[in-house]
Amino acid sequence: MSEAMQTFNLRSFEPPEGVAALRKDVRAFIAQEAARADASTRVNSWAVADAAFSRALGKAGFIGMTWPKKYGGHERHPLERYVVLEELLAAGAPVGMHWIADRQSGPLLLRYGEEEQRQRFLPQIAKGELYVCIGMSEPGAGSDLAAVRTKGVRTNEGWRISGQKIWTTNAHNSHLMIALVRTEEGSERNAGLTQFLIDLSSPGIDVRPIIDLTGGHDFNEVFLDDVLVPDDMRVGEEGAGWKQVTAELSLERSGPERYLSSFGLFVELVRAAGPDPDDSLAALIGRLSAEIWALRQMSMSTAAKLADGDDPALEAAIVKDLGNSFEQEAPRLVQAMTEAGDDLLADSDLARMLAILLQVSPSFSLRGGTREILRGIIARGLGLR
Amino acid sequence: MSESDAILLETAGRLFNDARAAETFETAWGEIDAAGFASLLVPEEADGFGGSWRDAFSVFRLAGYARAPVPIGETILAARLSHDAGFDAVAGACSLAACAEGRIENGCFTGVFSAVPWGRNAGFVLAALDDQLIRLNAGAAAVNENQSLAGEPRDGLAFEGAPVETARLNGADVFGLAALLRTAQIAGAMDAALAMSIDYVNERKQFGRPISKFQAIQQSLAQFAEEAAAVNCAGDAAFAALARGEASFETAAAKLRANMAAGVGAAIAHQAHGAIGFTQEHELHHYTTRLTAWRSEFGNDRYWARRLGRSVAKDGADAFWPGLTRRSDAA
Repeated sequence: MSEAMQTFNLRSFEPPEGVAALRKDVRAFIAQEAARADASTRVNSWAVADAAFSRALGKAGFIGMTWPKKYGGHERHPLERYVVLEELLAAGAPVGMHWIADRQSGPLLLRYGEEEQRQRFLPQIAKGELYVCIGMSEPGAGSDLAAVRTKGVRTNEGWRISGQKIWTTNAHNSHLMIALVRTEEGSERNAGLTQFLIDLSSPGIDVRPIIDLTGGHDFNEVFLDDVLVPDDMRVGEEGAGWKQVTAELSLERSGPERYLSSFGLFVELVRAAGPDPDDSLAALIGRLSAEIWALRQMSMSTAAKLADGDDPALEAAIVKDLGNSFEQEAPRLVQAMTEAGDDLLADSDLARMLAILLQVSPSFSLRGGTREILRGIIARGLGLR
Repeated sequence: MSESDAILLETAGRLFNDARAAETFETAWGEIDAAGFASLLVPEEADGFGGSWRDAFSVFRLAGYARAPVPIGETILAARLSHDAGFDAVAGACSLAACAEGRIENGCFTGVFSAVPWGRNAGFVLAALDDQLIRLNAGAAAVNENQSLAGEPRDGLAFEGAPVETARLNGADVFGLAALLRTAQIAGAMDAALAMSIDYVNERKQFGRPISKFQAIQQSLAQFAEEAAAVNCAGDAAFAALARGEASFETAAAKLRANMAAGVGAAIAHQAHGAIGFTQEHELHHYTTRLTAWRSEFGNDRYWARRLGRSVAKDGADAFWPGLTRRSDAA
């Protein structure tokens, strides 16, 4: 054992000079722009869609931060973008409207899109005006994404696409869906798949809401009935869809939203505990502090690897699963050990946040890759599969 | 990693493995001492190795990975503390006490150091007493030999009017540094036990195939890997904070996170190994008993959780995030 195995390769988080000033700018922006009326919207805030906030954020230069200026971006360092994201999440800002477009659709177009597609869509995304949703899951293709059946057939006028997507977050607010479609008849599994930008106002599209157990509306079903999609809306090579979505999923899993989305609960816990908490409350605050700090180190290390151009798929899976587990355990611990947990209907910010998180947190280890799928990825990295 | 770092770690790994195979403490310690590891954290201008706190993390982690049966981490920290306090450099193994009780009169100490790692083998031992750092020659003590759950020496040292060196603590945190040493050792031991578990489940066959092919096994070892990753990241970040200066938050958070990970890691390692891992003969227990013992040493979960929680509560809800980011932005 002289070669000491290490599963998680550490990378130092070394942003350019001036991140302290950048944080100050973001904090000032949030203080001015974010409507903080309802405590329940300050947790899970990357699912809270607010077009006005997204437009203001775009105007301030905080969307598409790393993209080339010619596409409306700001050519900032990826770790500066990371700093802005964690500030937005820690403050519970309503970033849900543009989140997916900024996180993965834009980078996908930069990497695989045509020049004309970049010029057409990226500036609008960076302005916080164009919103995109992800058309991956289908009724028969959840964790097993390679089972997608939505079909695209090439015709003289472009592509005719038919099928059904489901669990499509924010489709009802989005202009475009980037859909994974089977374009080669008879192809199986991860072969013969292609990604398309689909204009959700096209004839043949029917977006229907799926109401979640809290009564909220994030998810949708998207039905596609012989929808005409011009060939210039194809993203990347025909048949290269699987490789592209795999890269996209790394972006989807690696961000700070996987451990910071319920940070507001911790802040309200500390506020409610006051300056001199009893032993059990102090221990709870201590434990959660340690976990948040450690997750942040892991998340920053993963961000540093992404910024260096690596694909830290294994590290991203580790951070997402640990982050999800933490974000599910924290509300349960707060419920078990605090006064707010005694009365979930109490008129306090802590009780309101607790009530919403206890209900929505089961979804954390489902969205963006289930716990079981992530652990399967980790097991493969360990040489067990 | 620089080339000199790579050589340092290669040497440390080799020496620690040799030490594990040695029959006596003197043999185990001799080569490590001769290689000059004790002065790792002493500046070059004071004839030390001039290593960084990050180097120290890597070396301590390897000591945990190899379960080196010597107080190399304690000695490295004692040498640095001694240097900072203006004490003379001393040869041989040294150690640190979690707890010292007693009084100093006319330059002599009467009292007790408890649970001193390798107290019986140490030349000098250091501890904090009120606002002072004190150093004593362990040879002057009556030794009450004891050992941890893992069989590592944890001795009581009783002094009766023994000459003592003293210096103002000046912010030096003996207990906290030792807690970070254990954090790094837990990081190494977690990775070693994980590597053993992976090898075992790939070899062991049941139902006609290696048990690594069962999803239940894959999922639990993935969870083990996550905890190992967490403690490695936490340890590395805490040592980076030491390099920047004040690291009380990071010390508490890292040892607490390591303690939590140690419990999960030891449990999964045993579950993966089945009955063979529960035998004296098998190597696994050397790691799992260390993980278990180190979780309690220099602050268990309760100790650090309360301490960290009180400090966070005192600073207030709106100070937490700005404090967290200010500390890492200072890097």
